Amino acid sequence: MSERATITTADHVTLELELAGVPQRLMAWLFDTLMLVLLFLLLVFLFLGLGGGITFGLDLEAGVEELMSSVGVAILVAFYFVLTWGYGVLFEGLSRGQTPGKRLMGLRVVRQDGLPIGFREAAMRNLVRAADMLPPPTYALGALVLNFDPQHRRLGDMMAGTLVVRERFELEFGSQLGAAWAVRLEQGQSRQALSLPGGALTAQQLELIEQYLSRRTELTEQRREALARRLGEPLLTLMGREANRRNSTDFYEALMAEVLGMAESASSAKSVSGKRVDGLF
Amino acid sequence: MTGVDDPVIDPVIKKQQQWSQFAERTRRLLKEGRNALRGLSRAELVGLIDDYQRIIADLARARSMGAPRQTVDLLNRLAVMGHNLLYGYARPVHARGDGWLIHFARTVRKYGSAMGLSCLMLFGPMVISYLAVQWYPSLGFDLVPEGFYAFDPASSENLHDIPSLTRPMVSSSIITNNIQVTLMAFGLGLTAGIGTTAVLVFNGIHIGTVAGWMAVQGKSKALWGWILPHGSTELLAIAIAGGAGYLLAGAMVMPGLQRRSVALRAIGKDAMTIELGVMGMLVIAGLIEGFVSPSALPFEARLGVLGASILLWAAFFGGMGRKAGGETSLPRE
Repeated sequence: MSERATITTADHVTLELELAGVPQRLMAWLFDTLMLVLLFLLLVFLFLGLGGGITFGLDLEAGVEELMSSVGVAILVAFYFVLTWGYGVLFEGLSRGQTPGKRLMGLRVVRQDGLPIGFREAAMRNLVRAADMLPPPTYALGALVLNFDPQHRRLGDMMAGTLVVRERFELEFGSQLGAAWAVRLEQGQSRQALSLPGGALTAQQLELIEQYLSRRTELTEQRREALARRLGEPLLTLMGREANRRNSTDFYEALMAEVLGMAESASSAKSVSGKRVDGLF
Repeated sequence: MTGVDDPVIDPVIKKQQQWSQFAERTRRLLKEGRNALRGLSRAELVGLIDDYQRIIADLARARSMGAPRQTVDLLNRLAVMGHNLLYGYARPVHARGDGWLIHFARTVRKYGSAMGLSCLMLFGPMVISYLAVQWYPSLGFDLVPEGFYAFDPASSENLHDIPSLTRPMVSSSIITNNIQVTLMAFGLGLTAGIGTTAVLVFNGIHIGTVAGWMAVQGKSKALWGWILPHGSTELLAIAIAGGAGYLLAGAMVMPGLQRRSVALRAIGKDAMTIELGVMGMLVIAGLIEGFVSPSALPFEARLGVLGASILLWAAFFGGMGRKAGGETSLPRE
């Protein structure tokens, strides 16, 4: 489980952002560095190629060559500088907090309030790299600070007020349990504690039983048997029935379903009576 | 598997589909990049926002009612994806509509003590090493970098030594090099100012010894006529960038009654403004250096450029955007 930062959206809902750690950020940085090198090499070859071709219509042969090389080198020097310092600023400013490397790694720079960053934040976090990079080019200081900060920020992030978060696309839709929950909550029904002859079951315990039933087919045989026994045996006592070591997994699962059914009918009865009370007042 | 025909289970399947469809669409749009939302029709966009709000509502309910961890996690991820996709950049609100130049001058003026400290760290070592080389010229051999022993930009064959055709290159590399130095002085402020001080002091010593060395060798004219017309602007820019670095250092060393990261963030905006302005100054200085300094201008004209730039910066930082009543004066009764 990765570290998380909590934000509150404009709708006043709490979201947990998963923070990126050193490994993911390192990978993204390596990829970006590779991109930079390739971009620069491409540019150099482009200029070497163009140097002979373009004359701007001038006829001063020697002069033109010198001019081309000079202007060319001037542009190269400027471009190299702008690339190295501006790469992060440009990409993060333009594409909502993602350099190509971050995109590849599923990372994104966001503001501390969860909103996307703009050029100001991108410039702030990228132009103070000199400190995070110490001793250059190891990023040791940045990594050290990041490790001690609960929000996993390097110095540049602190200054800009940004977080690097993971954007996860892998989602687990396998079981319908979550959706069932959501529908139930939407309809205003939440689990209530259930009282049985031998004692009461709390809402959480009922939840546990329901979770077990919905996921039982995903478990290994031994695990399923062990869990069924652990959950089922206390239920037997609560129901006031005799425990038997020979009871099968199926037996316990049927028992759990029975208990859940009781909880279902108990809560619907309650909500009906609740309505009646409302009507009285 | 038994419940598919069961009317009770139907809304559950529907809900499940809503979620997975939202995930699919959001993932696709996020991968498309920043302009993905522009490609949507109005109805599609409204539909997407509705779906997002349903997810958000589901998440809020699931959290407060204690739904299983997996459900909360799933909904949280969906909501974060939607949030990242749908919310736009919140433009900072500018209090005053003043131009950027005025803002820059005012910001520099606001932090006089940081600027003063930075000037001290740059110009102090510079003057000391200049004088030291004057008094003990043998020091020059220890301190002056080898490449600068015969540094003589203004000798007869050297005055126009930079062929006009290579000037763009000289200009370009000088600008970038200087900006690099200011980015160091600025960014290393985050090392509690140690790095900033190092950058300022080393640059000061370097410039001071070379200048002193030139003076010892009787090349003062070159110093004043060739280096200082642009050098004055550059030195000022480096000193101001150092001041911005010290602002960051101040937030780290003396954050006051707030967390260091909060103090850093508060001062960061102003420090960034200063650094951006400094970059602009260096572009001006680099253009002077690339095009004016190596030109055939007479010595007096060069001194004129030097004087003009000093006056210009003094006026700019001293008076630009200053209000009649004074910025720092107490409220008048």
